[in-house]
Amino acid sequence: MAEFSTRKGFHIRLSGAPSDEVKIVDGSDEAAVYPQEFAGIKPRLLVKEGDSVKQGSPLFIDKKCPELRFSSPAAGKIRTIEYGPRRAIEKVIIDLAASQQTEAFPAFEPASLRSAARDRVIEILTTSGYLAYLVERPFSRIPNPAVSPKSIFVNAMDTAPFHTDICVAMAGQDAAFQAGLLALGRLTDGLVHLVLPGDHDNLPKALTHADGVEIHRATGPHPAGNTSFHIHNIDPIVPGDVVWTIRADDLIQIGRLLLDGKVPANRVVALGGPGVGNGSGCHYRVPIGAPLHHLLNGNLTSGEKRVVNGDVMGGTQIAPDGHLPFRCSGLTVIAEDRSRHFMGWAGPGLGRFSMSRAYLSWWVAREKSWDLGSSQNGSLRSMVLTGLYDKYMPMNIMVDYLVRAVIANDTEAAIQLGILETDPEDFAACAFACPSKMDLVGIVRKGLAMVEEEGI
Amino acid sequence: MRFLLDQLEKSKHLFEPGGKLEKLYPLYEANDTFLFTPSDTTQSSPHVRDSVDLKRVMITVVIALLPCLLFGIYNVGHQFNVVNQVEGAGFASHMFEGSLRVLPIVFVSYAVGGMWEVLFCIIRKHEINEGFLVTGMLFPLTLPPTIPLWQVAVGISFGIVIGKEIFGGTGFNILNPALTARAFLFFAYPGDIIGDRVWTVMKDGATAIEGFTGATPLGVTALVPVGENATVALREAGFTLSSMFHGLEGGSIGETAMIPVLIGAAILIITGIGSWRIMVGGVIGLLAMGWCMNALPAEDFIGATQLPAYYHLVIGGFGFGIVFMATDPVSAAATTKGKWIYGILVGVLIVLIRVANPAYPGGVMLSILFMNVMAPTIDHFVLKSHIRKREAHLRKFSYAKG
Repeated sequence: MAEFSTRKGFHIRLSGAPSDEVKIVDGSDEAAVYPQEFAGIKPRLLVKEGDSVKQGSPLFIDKKCPELRFSSPAAGKIRTIEYGPRRAIEKVIIDLAASQQTEAFPAFEPASLRSAARDRVIEILTTSGYLAYLVERPFSRIPNPAVSPKSIFVNAMDTAPFHTDICVAMAGQDAAFQAGLLALGRLTDGLVHLVLPGDHDNLPKALTHADGVEIHRATGPHPAGNTSFHIHNIDPIVPGDVVWTIRADDLIQIGRLLLDGKVPANRVVALGGPGVGNGSGCHYRVPIGAPLHHLLNGNLTSGEKRVVNGDVMGGTQIAPDGHLPFRCSGLTVIAEDRSRHFMGWAGPGLGRFSMSRAYLSWWVAREKSWDLGSSQNGSLRSMVLTGLYDKYMPMNIMVDYLVRAVIANDTEAAIQLGILETDPEDFAACAFACPSKMDLVGIVRKGLAMVEEEGI
Repeated sequence: MRFLLDQLEKSKHLFEPGGKLEKLYPLYEANDTFLFTPSDTTQSSPHVRDSVDLKRVMITVVIALLPCLLFGIYNVGHQFNVVNQVEGAGFASHMFEGSLRVLPIVFVSYAVGGMWEVLFCIIRKHEINEGFLVTGMLFPLTLPPTIPLWQVAVGISFGIVIGKEIFGGTGFNILNPALTARAFLFFAYPGDIIGDRVWTVMKDGATAIEGFTGATPLGVTALVPVGENATVALREAGFTLSSMFHGLEGGSIGETAMIPVLIGAAILIITGIGSWRIMVGGVIGLLAMGWCMNALPAEDFIGATQLPAYYHLVIGGFGFGIVFMATDPVSAAATTKGKWIYGILVGVLIVLIRVANPAYPGGVMLSILFMNVMAPTIDHFVLKSHIRKREAHLRKFSYAKG
């Protein structure tokens, strides 16, 4: 067990935090899967329009790793398969059947997971597609099932707004979570590390007394909740190493699959952010792949909105008329803010959220939560200030130079400076505070892709 | 405001690709975003961004410079009125006379510097960077009030074009453009920038007040012969520690007094925009080197070596240089450790040049420019050590080692 903390970073005081209440969303008549959500795979369809599928039946496989199948979240008939540019499969839409038949997977007794063969666990994860809940580092891609990682990190800590509160997701799922942890233990020869927030007193026992894992406590402002920070402090990634990571609420889904012998039909998702109307910001139990309008209609404030899958720092924008992604632990809604303010650079800046002490709000409104929108609050400029990024990077990484190495296409220097220890989302806090409005997340993503292509 | 915004939006198509004034887009963009914050939204994560932008940063630096400008105006007017024996001159008269001399210099600096900036941005199709707002203000404050305006224009042109634009513009320059401009004038037109006659504006035909020499503290110190006491020489010339701190004396427009510099330093440090490490490092380096000089045997070295170390803090342009020039983030060291080393070495060099080479009283300018050149080297070694430590740390966790 390790305890570690940082003071680098900052709390993003975004308004509209979801409450602990769990509402049920039901009654949708369709579900959809977006193959493009699984970055890095090349999908080959196993079904065609009009086919009937069960909940858990494979829809497509990855051409590069054919044993990896992606399954249907619900039973019914394939209504349409939509293609995007260059014939990329955009989405598979399923009309739900009246009765939900399920594909049977081997079910485990909780105790038997302690000694289950790795191959059996891997087989269930690959044939159900639930391996995609795990992330392989470096490069943050879907794991290669043939490789045994040196350790696995379970992240039960969030510092960016907003994700499912793990305490809410854990209600009634203690057994599933523990089963998931034991299964992870079969996937690695090393240790499974569970990282909990160090400043949270009322964590469920299933977390604090989890079995078969190393429990760690991390404290600090964002990005202390990012897995990279945990790996960096517990078992850093050395060039050549492979580490797997997973979110704790995603692990519950894997646990449910292993105990029940069928893919779970729903999950708990947080809905929050300044774009969510009063009282609607809470947790929802939603069918996976369900149309988002079931969740969003009537719950948002007026005006143009941006829906983010995940938190505002590392999440991805999704269409409000789309469907709930497979990997979704929270939806954050903010306003699309294109407003223009007269001489915005002047004035004391009392009404503007900033991490810069050049704004009065930093001094006097330290506890206020803010209705932040999507405005970039300035235009793109060349890098001028130095040393600023390091204030928001809790790892031993010199952000200025890492970014410069990537811009200069110098992969060797980027590796020396620690790019393999990072995920693009780790740079979101630096990018947030950057007065030159640099796209640091995009730069690091490009850098990781470059290193991946050239090899370590 | 609505009307103004509408007009801007209406004329936008002229400057966009295909419009009549397409080439002038950077100029339009600069004006447009100066008047109203841009409507740009984030394209990917992070989806929200801080309110701070480069305009805010640069305006804050300009605000930090204002006390120096205002005091400079007052001091130039004050010197003018005293030396020319204007009777009954008060605060208003000082400010008026000072403004007459200083504001044209500031105006020329901004106009000519801005012209170059816009020209290069149009050619490069870049946005206009707000950095020139600071350069355009820094440069005049380093000049003597008697500087001919054409030299201001030539100097800022050299500073902007050679000091910055040929490297690729703001963010890519090696040297501080304002100091480059200053150094250019220093070496190209020494007659107008060195010596005792340039620091105070004289009225045509007027007789100076009795005993007026026009010398600056640095000029006096440099001439103290071997074995004599520099402090006494300064006092005889009318300079005490407190008078030099208050700065009602001849010198470059913005750098004679410490109080406005300290106000500026406070603004930069409190807002987090100027690097306090460089400033503190500079003071440490200056004092340390000053004490080293004091330790030299007085009978063998010129009197300047014996000047108490803390005198160096208030003499000449040290305060202004270390607070506003050395902290320019683009030309200074970029690493945290590098900033300490850089600041300390700037301080050390200032004393070294002042004492060992009295021919160049502009030690501050030359030290900072020299350290600008050395900054990438400092960063290189800091970075090397960082990489070595990282690798040593990671080796402990290697999976391969078993």
